[in-house]
Amino acid sequence: MSRFFRRRKFCRFTAEGVTEIDYKDLDTLKQYVSETGKIVPSRITGTKAKYQRQLATAVKRARYLALLPYTDAHN
Amino acid sequence: MRHYEVVFMVHPDQSEQVPGMIERYSNVITKDGGTVHRLEDWGRRQLAYHINKIHKAHYVLMNVEASNEAMEELTTTFRYNDAVIRNLVIRRDEPTLEESLIMKAEREDKERKARYQERQDNDARRAAAETAKAPAEEDAPEPVAEAPEAATEETTEE
Repeated sequence: MSRFFRRRKFCRFTAEGVTEIDYKDLDTLKQYVSETGKIVPSRITGTKAKYQRQLATAVKRARYLALLPYTDAHN
Repeated sequence: MRHYEVVFMVHPDQSEQVPGMIERYSNVITKDGGTVHRLEDWGRRQLAYHINKIHKAHYVLMNVEASNEAMEELTTTFRYNDAVIRNLVIRRDEPTLEESLIMKAEREDKERKARYQERQDNDARRAAAETAKAPAEEDAPEPVAEAPEAATEETTEE
């Protein structure tokens, strides 16, 4: 139906066989956080539910420790 | 005995106290028969957002194996120590020994800066030697390996 070809989404964590998403891994976490600081939903990123849950806790921990911002409206 | 990961943030003005605090907290854990598996001082880091009008904080990470009582003591000391802005304690299944990703990123950044600095120094020295024809003092080779790096000017956006 859709005339545009959409690139297939895939879960990076499943592909790499990650055992645990670390809240200290800021480079990875930043890829799954929008510009406004929100966690990007798995329906957009294609992350598997198991990893999306881990990702959410990791981002929240990183936010608590001020490693990641909660929003772009700080200060 | 359980494994825990502890991160605490110290007020930047109280940064000098950090070594003492680490020692005290390690004592709390070891005197109960626990062990400190990993201890990292991340140093002063820029905060992603301001906390109590503070823009920077001194981070310390500890991976410990400790008893419940020791952890309780540790968290209460965190609570009553005004220098500790925030702390995070999470339970882990096994000890973590390797360098954390933050430390790694930091070190790579530092090495990159050192290499850059070294190159600048070398350039300056070469220029000086060419103009003055004086024997440039040869420093001992820096411990930093001269690895082929592409991104020299990659600034960290924290």
